[in-house]
Amino acid sequence: MSLHEVGKRRHQAGIEMRVRGGAVYTHDIALPGMLFGAILRSPHPHAKILSIDTSAARALRGVHAVITSKDFGDRRYYQLGGSYSDRPPLANEKVRYWGEEVAAVAAETLAVAEQACALISVEYEALAPVFAPDDALGAQAPEIHGRENAPGGKNLAIRFSANYGDVDGAVAQAAFVLEDEFRHGIVAPSCLETNGTVASYDAGQGKLDLWTATQAPYFIRKEVAQAVGLDEKQVRIRSVEVGGGFGGKSKICEQEALAAMLSIKAKRPVKITLNRREEFVSGKTDHAKRVRIRTAVAEDGRILNRNVSVQIDNGAYTAYAPTYVGASRQRTTCLYRVETAHYDCDLVYTNKVPGGQYRGMGAPHTIWAIESHMDEIASRLKRDPLEYRIAQANQPGDVTPLKWRISTCGLTECLEAAGRMIGWDEKRKSSAPLRGVGVASMIHPSGGVIYQEGNFANTRIELTAEGRVIVHTQTADTGTWQNTTLAQVAAEALGVGTDDVFVSHMDTEDAPPDLGSAASRVTFVTGNATLRAGENLKAKILSALSRQWNCGVEDIAIESGVARHIYEPNRTADLLEIARLAGPLDAEGYFSTPGERPDPKTGEGNYAATYVFGAQAAEVEVDRNTGRITVLRMAVAQDVGRALNPTAVEGQIYGGVLQGIGMALQEEMVFEEGRPVNASFLDYAVPRIGSAPKIDIALVETDDPLGPYGAKAGAEPTINATIAAIANAVFHATGIRFKELPMSPDRVLSALEAKDGNKPALKPWKRVYNAEVATVRAMYPNVVFPALRSVGTKFARLPKKSKQPRTLVPGNANELVEFLSNKNTKSRIVAGGTDIFVGLKQGIYDLDQLVDVSRLPELQGISFAENDLSTLRIGAAMTLDKIARNELVARFFPSLASCISLIATPQIRRVATIAGDLCQEKRCWFFRSAFPCYKLGGPTCPCFAVLGDNRHHSINGAKRCAAPNPSDLAPLLSSLSACAVVVGRSGKRSIPIEELYLWSGLTKVGSDEVIEAIEIPLAPNTTASFEKFGLRQGDFAEASVAVRAQWANDSVSTLRIFAGAVSPLPLRAAKAEALLTGTRLEPDAVAEAAATIVEGSLPLEDNQYKVPLLINLTKQALLAARRRN
Amino acid sequence: MRIDFRINGIDRSLQLSGDEMLVNVIRERLGLRGTKVGCGNGECGACTVHVDGEAVCSCLYPAHRVAGRSVTTIEGLAPENALSPVQAAFVRHGAVQCGFCTGGMIMSASALLAQNAKPSEAEISHALAGNICRCTGYRQIIDAVLDASGQGNADSERP
Ligand code: FES
Ligand code: FES
Repeated sequence: MSLHEVGKRRHQAGIEMRVRGGAVYTHDIALPGMLFGAILRSPHPHAKILSIDTSAARALRGVHAVITSKDFGDRRYYQLGGSYSDRPPLANEKVRYWGEEVAAVAAETLAVAEQACALISVEYEALAPVFAPDDALGAQAPEIHGRENAPGGKNLAIRFSANYGDVDGAVAQAAFVLEDEFRHGIVAPSCLETNGTVASYDAGQGKLDLWTATQAPYFIRKEVAQAVGLDEKQVRIRSVEVGGGFGGKSKICEQEALAAMLSIKAKRPVKITLNRREEFVSGKTDHAKRVRIRTAVAEDGRILNRNVSVQIDNGAYTAYAPTYVGASRQRTTCLYRVETAHYDCDLVYTNKVPGGQYRGMGAPHTIWAIESHMDEIASRLKRDPLEYRIAQANQPGDVTPLKWRISTCGLTECLEAAGRMIGWDEKRKSSAPLRGVGVASMIHPSGGVIYQEGNFANTRIELTAEGRVIVHTQTADTGTWQNTTLAQVAAEALGVGTDDVFVSHMDTEDAPPDLGSAASRVTFVTGNATLRAGENLKAKILSALSRQWNCGVEDIAIESGVARHIYEPNRTADLLEIARLAGPLDAEGYFSTPGERPDPKTGEGNYAATYVFGAQAAEVEVDRNTGRITVLRMAVAQDVGRALNPTAVEGQIYGGVLQGIGMALQEEMVFEEGRPVNASFLDYAVPRIGSAPKIDIALVETDDPLGPYGAKAGAEPTINATIAAIANAVFHATGIRFKELPMSPDRVLSALEAKDGNKPALKPWKRVYNAEVATVRAMYPNVVFPALRSVGTKFARLPKKSKQPRTLVPGNANELVEFLSNKNTKSRIVAGGTDIFVGLKQGIYDLDQLVDVSRLPELQGISFAENDLSTLRIGAAMTLDKIARNELVARFFPSLASCISLIATPQIRRVATIAGDLCQEKRCWFFRSAFPCYKLGGPTCPCFAVLGDNRHHSINGAKRCAAPNPSDLAPLLSSLSACAVVVGRSGKRSIPIEELYLWSGLTKVGSDEVIEAIEIPLAPNTTASFEKFGLRQGDFAEASVAVRAQWANDSVSTLRIFAGAVSPLPLRAAKAEALLTGTRLEPDAVAEAAATIVEGSLPLEDNQYKVPLLINLTKQALLAARRRN
Repeated sequence: MRIDFRINGIDRSLQLSGDEMLVNVIRERLGLRGTKVGCGNGECGACTVHVDGEAVCSCLYPAHRVAGRSVTTIEGLAPENALSPVQAAFVRHGAVQCGFCTGGMIMSASALLAQNAKPSEAEISHALAGNICRCTGYRQIIDAVLDASGQGNADSERP
C-alpha cells in the first residue's frame, strides 16, 4: 500500500497558536461572573473529624458558596468500583492524609476564598498515622479503612498471588537461583500545567459544563455526574488545551467535582486552579514499591522460573493502583522468554498522598528490577549482557506464561539496533574508568482490556458544508501530538491532505464515547476507530458522488483532497465541491480491542490486541569527586509497528527518556510526618535542559496487522526501559549495583566512598559544642523530640499565613531609613524579592511591610570607591546578572563572575541582588514547609532535621538548628576579604562578610539598617577560585568552596579558604590555610590539607556524603587557584 | 499607585496595588494569557517575559517595577500573522508538545539570541536553564534554537 499522509513528518496540529501564545488552557478560561474556588485541606495525616463550622466563612463578604462532605451525601468516587471505591469528594468522618480536601469555598477573588477557608473551623481528634507499608501491615497498625475497602486484610486493598506453570518442577531443574530486592520512592508526573477546572452550572437548563485539564473526558463526566448527583447527560466536558498529562490527569482529579458542586451551589461559574504545592501535596502521584525477585536459571541461560513479589504503597485512597498490580505482573511473566512464573503483590494503604497513575504504571521500576537482575544473571553465566538478552528475547508466535500471544515482535532487532547505536562491543570492552554502557528491554500492551467497559473507541468525522473535514473525538491531546496523528489517519483513509483535517477533541457532546487518552490506547484503539470512520465517510461520499455523476462508486477516486472520475478525468471535485454535491455528511467509526479480558483470579489471558517492544542503551559517566552521574548518550530502538508521524514518535522518545532519567537520577518525594517537604520544582527537581543527553533513535516497523496502518502504541512505553538501562550502565562504570532509587549524587558518592574504604578524620572534639550537640542528638529519638513535638509545639508562635504585608517604595535613602525606624512595624527590605516573595507564600514570615529598595540610586552602581582606588564598590541592589557582566568585575574578580553563573537560573539572576543573596533566608525544607520547628515556632519547638531527611543540612556547627547557610556569595566574598557597608540612623559602618552572620539567614544588619554596598579590596598577585556542587542544575549548593591565594614568587604568602552550605555560618578552613601557606600548593600537600577542612564536623545521617564532597571541592578549588597563577 | 509603562508596543497606564505581581497584570488585567503560570515561584520559567529586553519571571516581578519600562510578552514577539525566527524554528523542529512551557521557552531563547547571535549548544543550555519543559526532553528545542540562529543542520530539521 502506498501511503500519502501516514508515515510522513507533519507539523503538530495547532502548533502556530501554541508558539504565539494563543492556545487556551483551563487556566486561561475566564467566564462572565466567574468565581474562584479554594480548598481547605487537612492538617493531620490521620484524624477523626468531630465537627465543621463554616458560619464565619459564609459570613465573609464576597463568599458565594461553602461546601463540606454533607453536600455530597454518602457518594464516593467510583474509580474501579467495588471495594476500590473508597473516597468521598470531601472528607467525611475521617481524614486519611495530610492535605486531604475537607471543605471548599467559592468567592469573588481567590484571596477572599483563601481567607474564607482560614475561617472554617474544624475540630479533629488526631489518630495514630502509619506511613510505611511494612508498618501498616503490622499487628499494632491503625486501620485506615474498614474491611469493606480492605478485602485483603487490614490495610490491604489487594493481596494477590498466583503461579504460572509448573513452578516447583521448573525450579528443581535450575542450575542456579539468584535473588534480589529493589526499592524506590514516590515520583510525580509533574505536568507543567497544574490541575484545574472551570465548572459552569446552568440551573435553568439543568446543564453543567466543565473545562478541565484532563486526558479522559469520558471518565470525568461519569465521575462528576455521579458525585454531584446529576445524570451523565446533564454534564458536558468542553474542548480545551491540556498542558501535559502523563497519566496524572487520566482519571478524576479532586478539583473537578468540587468546582462542579461549588458552581451548582453558587449558581455562578467557578474556577479552581491548584497551585504547584497543592499539586504535589494532594495530586495523584506514582506509587512507591518494593520488588523482590528470584530467578531460577538453566545451565544454558533459559529462565526456568521468575518469581516476583511486589509491595505497593497505595497511599490513603485507591485510584488506579489495581492496574499497577497488573502491570508488574505482566512484566514479571512476559518480558523475555520466561518458562514459568510466580507473582504476588500487596497493595497497602498508608496515610500518605493517594497514588494515582503515571506513565508506565509502575513498569519502569519493575523493569528496572527485572533488568538489573538480568545483568546479574548474565554475569553469573559469564555472558555478554546484550548477547544474553538477545538469546532470551520474545519472538513472534510465543505464548507467555500469562497466556499473551505475541504476534508482531521486533525485540531482537531493537536490542541489536540499540547495541549498534551505542557502540556496545567497543565500549563494553574499553575500561575507561567511571564510564559504562548498559542495556535494557521493555514490553508493553497495545490495546489491552484495561477497563470494565473493555477498551473501545468511537470517532465521528464530518464533512461540513464549507468543505472542512472535522474529526470529533472524546480523547484529549495533552501534548502527545495525537490530534496530528489522528488527522493523518483520517486524511489517509479519506484521501485528503492532513492540513485539510481539523481534530476537535474532548467535547462529550460533539464526539461519541471514547475512553480517553490513557493506557497507551489512542494510536491503536482510537486510531482504528478513526480509520473506520474515515472509510465510512469515504463510502458515503463516494455513493453520493456516484449518484451525482451517474457512475459506479468504483469509478471514482479521491486523492489529495480531490475526487475524480477515473474515466472522465475532467470530472473532478475538490472538498468544497464535494460538500456542495454530496451535502454535509458525517460518519462514525467504532473499534473495540480484540484482546481477552484477563482471568480475575490470575490475570491470565491474551489481554491486548498486540504488544510493543523496545530496547534502550545508555552510556554514563560518574564523577568520582561528587557522585554525579551524567547520561552522555542514549540509544533507543522501539518497535512501533509503524511510525504514523516520525517527528511525533521521536518527540515522545525524547520526552519519555528524559522523564526516565528523572526517575533514575533525581526525582523522589520526601515526607515528614506524612507531609511532603519537597513540594516545589526546586526541591522536587524534574530534569532541566542540562540533563538532556544526545539520543539516537531507531524506529523498528513490524507493521502490525491489527494496528491502524500497522501502528502500535508509542508514547507511554518510551519511559519503560530507561531507568534500567542507566542502572546497568552505572554498574558497568562503577561495579556498584544500586538497589534504591534515585541514584542521586549523595547516594552515589557515599557508595563510592564505602567501596574505596575511605574514612576521613572528622575529629569532632575539635569543636566545643559538639559534645553537647552529640548528647542531645543521642536523646532526640526517645526523649527530646517526642517531648518537644507533643508538648513544646503547643507553644509555637507561628506566622499568620493570611497576612499580606504592604509594600513601600522609598524615593531616597533618608526616606528609607525613616520607613525602617518605626519600631512598631515589622519590616523587611526587599530588592530582587526572589526569596522573600516565595517565603511569604511558604508562610514563614510575619511582616507588616516590605520596603522595596530595588530602584534606590544609592544602592546602584559598580565603580572604584571614591577615595580609595584599591576597593571596588558594588551597589547592594545591583543584580547578579549585571555584576557578572561588568567589565571591572571580569577583570579584577573573575571568581565572582564565575560564582554568579552558578547561582539559580538566568531569570533569577537578572532580578536577584548581591545583598539579597547574602541576606537570603535559611534553607531547610522543614522550616520552608512551615513545620513548627525551633526557628519558626520558637525555643519550645524541636529541630525536625535531626531525625528527618537531613541530606541538605549542616555537617558542621549545627546547634539547635541545623540549617546551612545557602548563600554562594558568602564564602566567595569572605575569601576576597569583602565588607558590607551598612547605613542606618546612626550613620555608616562596615562589616566584614566573614563576620556578617549570626546564623544561617540571620545577619548583624540591624532592623533599622540597610546594606548600601559591598566593597571588595583589590589584592595584587592573587588568584581565586570557586567550586560549587548542587544536586541538580539551578539548585542551591550542597557544598561550595572559595579560595583566594596571594603569591610571592611561586609560593603562597596568604591563603583564604571558606566553605558554604555545610554549616550555618561560612566555614573558614584555618588549619588548611596554615598548612599550605608558604607552599606552592603541590597536589600532595593540597590533598593532605584539604582533608582537614572537615575536622570538627558532626554530620547527621543523610548528609555524610558532604564530608568527602567538601574535601574534594576544597582540593579542586585549591588546585584551580594554583593553575591560575 | 499608578504606573505608566509600555507593553507589546502599546503605552498603558494602570492603577496597582503594591503587592501585585507582573504576571497578574499581564494575564488577568490585560488578558494576555500566553504567559503561563507553572509554579508561581520563579522555578519553571513558564511566565517568562521581557522587561526592557531582559527575560525575567513575571510571577516574581512586582508590577510597580515596570514603571517607565517596556514589557514584551509572547503575544508581542512578532507582528500578527507572522512568526519570529525562534517561533518559526520551533514549528519546523516540532519543539512543542503540550505547549505550556513554549511561550516562556521562546521568550528566553529570543532574549538569548538578541545578546548572542550564534550561541553554542552549551550556551543555549545555560540560557534556558530556568525554563522547565516536562514533555519534550528538550532535544527538539535545542535544535530549534540552533536553527533560529542560523546554525541549523539540515539533518535535524523536522517537517
Ligand atoms: S510561573 Fe513563574 S517561574 Fe514558574
Ligand atoms: S511542551 Fe509541555 S512542558 Fe514543554
